[in-house]
Amino acid sequence: MRKVLLSLGCFASLMACSSTDTEIIETVAPATYKFERAGVTSVSFTGQTTRIEMGGEFVSALKSTSKTVTSLDAMFAHTEGENNFSTAALNGSSKSVRSKVAASTDFYASNTTDAAAIKADFDSWISAQVTDVFPNWDMEASEGNAGQIQEAGGGSIRYVSAKGIEYNQLIAKGLIGALMVDQILNNYLSPAVLDAASNVADNDADAVSSGKNYTTMEHKWDEAFGYLYGKEADATAPVLNNDSFLNKYLSRVEGDADFAGIADEIYNAFKLGRAAIVAKDYTTRALQAEILKEKISEIIGIRAVYYLQQGKNNLPTDKGGAFHDLSEGIGFIYSLQFTRKPNSTEPYFTKAEVDGFMTTLQSGNGFWDITPEALDQMSATIAGKFNFTLAQAGS
Amino acid sequence: MFRRFLLLFVSIITIYACSSSEEIAPIIADSFDRNALLENIADNIIIPAYEDFSGKMSALKSAGDSFSAAPNQTNLEALRASWFVAYKTWQHIEMFDIGKAEELQFKFYMNIYPVTVSDIEDNIANGSYDLDNVNNQDAQGFPALDYLIYGLADSDAAILEKYTTAENNDNYKNYLIAILNQMNTLTTSVVSDFKVQRNDFVISGDNTATSSVNKLINDYIFYYEKGLRANKFGIPAGIFSSTPLPGKVEGQYKNDVSRELALEALTAVQNMFEGKHYNASTTGASYKSYLIKLDRADIADVTASQFNTAATQIQTLTPSFAAQINTDNTAMTKAYDELQKAVVLLKVDMLQAFNVSIDYVDADGD
Repeated sequence: MRKVLLSLGCFASLMACSSTDTEIIETVAPATYKFERAGVTSVSFTGQTTRIEMGGEFVSALKSTSKTVTSLDAMFAHTEGENNFSTAALNGSSKSVRSKVAASTDFYASNTTDAAAIKADFDSWISAQVTDVFPNWDMEASEGNAGQIQEAGGGSIRYVSAKGIEYNQLIAKGLIGALMVDQILNNYLSPAVLDAASNVADNDADAVSSGKNYTTMEHKWDEAFGYLYGKEADATAPVLNNDSFLNKYLSRVEGDADFAGIADEIYNAFKLGRAAIVAKDYTTRALQAEILKEKISEIIGIRAVYYLQQGKNNLPTDKGGAFHDLSEGIGFIYSLQFTRKPNSTEPYFTKAEVDGFMTTLQSGNGFWDITPEALDQMSATIAGKFNFTLAQAGS
Repeated sequence: MFRRFLLLFVSIITIYACSSSEEIAPIIADSFDRNALLENIADNIIIPAYEDFSGKMSALKSAGDSFSAAPNQTNLEALRASWFVAYKTWQHIEMFDIGKAEELQFKFYMNIYPVTVSDIEDNIANGSYDLDNVNNQDAQGFPALDYLIYGLADSDAAILEKYTTAENNDNYKNYLIAILNQMNTLTTSVVSDFKVQRNDFVISGDNTATSSVNKLINDYIFYYEKGLRANKFGIPAGIFSSTPLPGKVEGQYKNDVSRELALEALTAVQNMFEGKHYNASTTGASYKSYLIKLDRADIADVTASQFNTAATQIQTLTPSFAAQINTDNTAMTKAYDELQKAVVLLKVDMLQAFNVSIDYVDADGD
């Protein structure tokens, strides 16, 4: 009897609270990501657009054999005023890609040791591209030897390491996690950032940042939005596939019938969360952040499994095609450590787990040696932690 | 009866749960005696530390005067020993950026490193300089002394030559004396002013942006985050740059003291947290006892324990952080990470418990 009453008590208290909460929450979902203050837009994410553009030029340059380690490093870790890029705007920018790699508050503020190791991974891949792959650009790749390998049927020529890895793909897909996903999920959507210092009090009082038309909290949310939609011509009507990073792969996942609708789910969560900040409704904001953690993490998980499966299918008949798939796959696998399980402080896969996958894929002669069984096992392990099946992601 | 009791209990839980979910707590003074905290810190930590430092600073100046009058190996050794003794004590007072120290920007004239060697050498070559000028903040204080007594040349004989047979040896001596005079004068001013202001300081216990207690707490956390964590560890370990910068360690010319200085600074931070009287084992009202009073012993315990974890990691480093960074920077970043974990505890958990607002802003990348 006592226990029943006690649990009734707990239940009653929970009920009472949730009903209070639902009375408070009045945030209405806006039609688009359009927010204004005094008739002028309050949305700003230019820093994110800049980094996406820098990343795009940098990744392209990884296939230009006239580049040196120094010049590629300079593009990766741009210094204001240096002529690393094609436009004056990028050259004059104080932003850099490398400074935001593995740099989120939640994951890396007190884990600079892992952050340094991750940055060092990217540095080593850049260096290996120049010193191992560039000198063998015109050679035929073979087991244990870097060079070029053509996809079957007169397809694209791929430039791979001695283990069959296209470093440019590993770097590009690794950046989707290390830069975009980490900054969005583990930094800008984090209460540690959104609610830092006096952000809540300022937002409650509609106190805008000095010289700006937005509150700091609004801006932080916009910065999360910007890492996904920063290259959209019109953020109120995103068309996707506008960059080589997260925006592109959201488009790919949306294009898979198994996952159609994910693009709307993500966009809706971003705009409702932003509206909730305007409405000072932090409960709704938090709910949208959790949705974004799940859905954006899924993009990485789905593409990792997809490329492992494509690589497996191509291995017997088309090594060039398979290596290209696996190079994209290993980059998405690297990105898994930057995902974020909703309502937790954890990624879907820890750095140690990801390092284990990386070791498996690169052991011996790497992609020349990898077996279909190993790829299937890895795919199943990854799919097992997400809310999708291997079959859904694999095609 | 029993039922009614339970019903009442249920109602209480419900009300309690609801009010806590609203999160709009009016600012209420808590039951902790903030003035007692200020008294303990002023009388048992700040003033004795200031007096100790003041004595060591004037001893350092005397050693400099003796060296200048007779620049030989013996006097150089004595000057170096005084420098290090004072530098260690400095680690106990840098965090007090209050009163005259704040007004004069005391710490900017005492411990900006690395120094700009060209500024020091230009000043010496010119023989005229304004040490009060902001441009010369990185050409004076303990780091400039470090350069002048350890960094001028590769050998002691060659260093002594600068003060003896070099063409402009008078300029070197004059510059050394000018720096010591500046440090000593500023110290005297800061210390005497704090004693004069002591009563005003300890009665200012309100929870306002300008009260002594709020400023002291903010200064403490800021010092921990910037003076200790960033300057001594993060910057040289390359946390804020694309590559490690071993030339930015504290005491780089003496070279094998950066660990000892850092541990001394962390000890000062721990002592302050626990309200431990300067150079004694007695403790008084402190941030820790404040947390306990607020029923947040959990924060107090985990913070104290995190400081210890950080100290343990720092003790694994080599005495020269520059050498550590060059051989195994990972150990250095691990020390930084352990220090950073306490930043969150102090800046978020402790400040929320105290209901004190942060008065400085982090620079954000975007």
